[in-house]
Amino acid sequence: MQTQTEENPVAEITQARIWNIPVRLFHWMLVSCFITAWLTRDDRYLDIHLFAGYLMAALILFRLLWGVIGGPYARFGDFAFGWREAWGYTKMALKGCPPRFIGHNPAGSWGIYLLLGLGSLIAITGLLALGGEEGHGPLAGLLNRPQGALAHDLHELLAWVMLGAVAVHLLGVLVESILHRENLIGSMITGYKSVPPGTVSATASRPVAAFMLVATIAAGFSWFYGYLVETPEQPYRPFIGQQLPDNALWREECGACHLAFHPSLLPARSWRVMMQQQASHFGEDLFLEQDAIDEITTFMADNAAEQELTEAAWKINQSIPETETPLRITETQYWIDKHSEISMQIWESPKVNGKVNCAACHLDADDGTFEDAAMRIPVEEDQSSTVLFNEMFQKAARYFSFNSAPPNRLDDKG
Amino acid sequence: MKRKLIVITALMFVMPMVVQADAISQLQADYQAKGAGPFSAAAGEALWNKPFKDAKSGKERRCTTCHTTDLTQAGKHLRTGKVIEPMAPSANPKRLTKIKKIKKWFVRNCKWTLGRECTAQEKGDLLAFLKSL
Repeated sequence: MQTQTEENPVAEITQARIWNIPVRLFHWMLVSCFITAWLTRDDRYLDIHLFAGYLMAALILFRLLWGVIGGPYARFGDFAFGWREAWGYTKMALKGCPPRFIGHNPAGSWGIYLLLGLGSLIAITGLLALGGEEGHGPLAGLLNRPQGALAHDLHELLAWVMLGAVAVHLLGVLVESILHRENLIGSMITGYKSVPPGTVSATASRPVAAFMLVATIAAGFSWFYGYLVETPEQPYRPFIGQQLPDNALWREECGACHLAFHPSLLPARSWRVMMQQQASHFGEDLFLEQDAIDEITTFMADNAAEQELTEAAWKINQSIPETETPLRITETQYWIDKHSEISMQIWESPKVNGKVNCAACHLDADDGTFEDAAMRIPVEEDQSSTVLFNEMFQKAARYFSFNSAPPNRLDDKG
Repeated sequence: MKRKLIVITALMFVMPMVVQADAISQLQADYQAKGAGPFSAAAGEALWNKPFKDAKSGKERRCTTCHTTDLTQAGKHLRTGKVIEPMAPSANPKRLTKIKKIKKWFVRNCKWTLGRECTAQEKGDLLAFLKSL
């Protein structure tokens, strides 16, 4: 509104609704999804990350539909500029005198197509990675693990490209806002722009907007419903892995003193050595009879990490050099990398009690599936939300560290 | 027919106790055959609470380190934190019912706690003590 106080050569200026509510909702929900997905890219928040991703995909699908039926300024037909026009507009903007468009300008239109395209590709590669690496989602089983990992890399690369596109988009909005002396960000919130009289106004489309909100809330409620009904004894598990091979004797003997670590967590050569050394099993004599040793060894070798029964099995096995035979899961590089951010304070807390207690955090440790997002770091009840908030805040600060002031800058007293 | 069912049901309740008595008395008979006995619950209890010094770490170890002093309650594995079900047969009827299991745990736990295997006398006393709980 401040820009309107400037002297303007056009005598008659009126306000008209240019962006209908669905367009604005789409815009800001897409922004929220992108930020949320970025902050939850750690495996631990996979369920939140997936919700943001699915919502983003749904929003893009909606926008494609809305681009056909959405009324003036929202329809693709209203901003179907060619490449030459976009480049021409950009050159004019660089010279400082771009023509003013009421709806999307030609360069901005290409930005929108680029962002919609990138968002779609990110959603597709995300689903491919989810299906290939984790074996979840609608595309489960379509790709194998190495292919899924490739899709994952592509997914991350595309996200960075999209972040770059967002930066260019923001720069464009800023430049145009300054050159035309108008608040484009404000317009995307209120929907209104200053326009010459007689300009076509967009309808508000409240019912569509209401549907978007209700659908999003309903989807969020059903997606996260498990958290509402969980109990401390039965925490909600967003992902249930496929059931792994089991063996009663293995579970009884190994599970008597510690968690029955699933065979998929170490290669067969490690289990064989461990079972041969059963008289000095980490300082204890297991005193197992030969037939028990044989049965357990066979079960473990048959389902060891090489069989790639889980994502963790595959990644653990990949991280072990073939010349090495680790006897502890915690010695494998994948395990070390995955747990590098866990502080000593957490390891030593009474509820965790050391690295041997997988089940302290991994809700599915007993099943051996070690799904992403099936983990909770135990904290005191009254602190849990604060800790989670701090963690998210630190992550946000790390990713967007260029926003914070240099910490050691001396005051300029001159 | 009905009577048969009653008998079977009654047996289902009695059987575990019979088996338990069997496993313990059979083992104690074995120990006696090796020259040990008679067995006393008091001696078993004394051994249960007796501290032993671990040669390597220099730390004190007792049966109670993991099983705690209240055997009707669950204990906790010192290193892994794994819950150990109560030792007292009154609180955990499955306890001391399988000869194989008793033998295995005597080897494992005597070696860890005492630094050696237990003697037949010690094992017989411990069983007498645990049986009484």
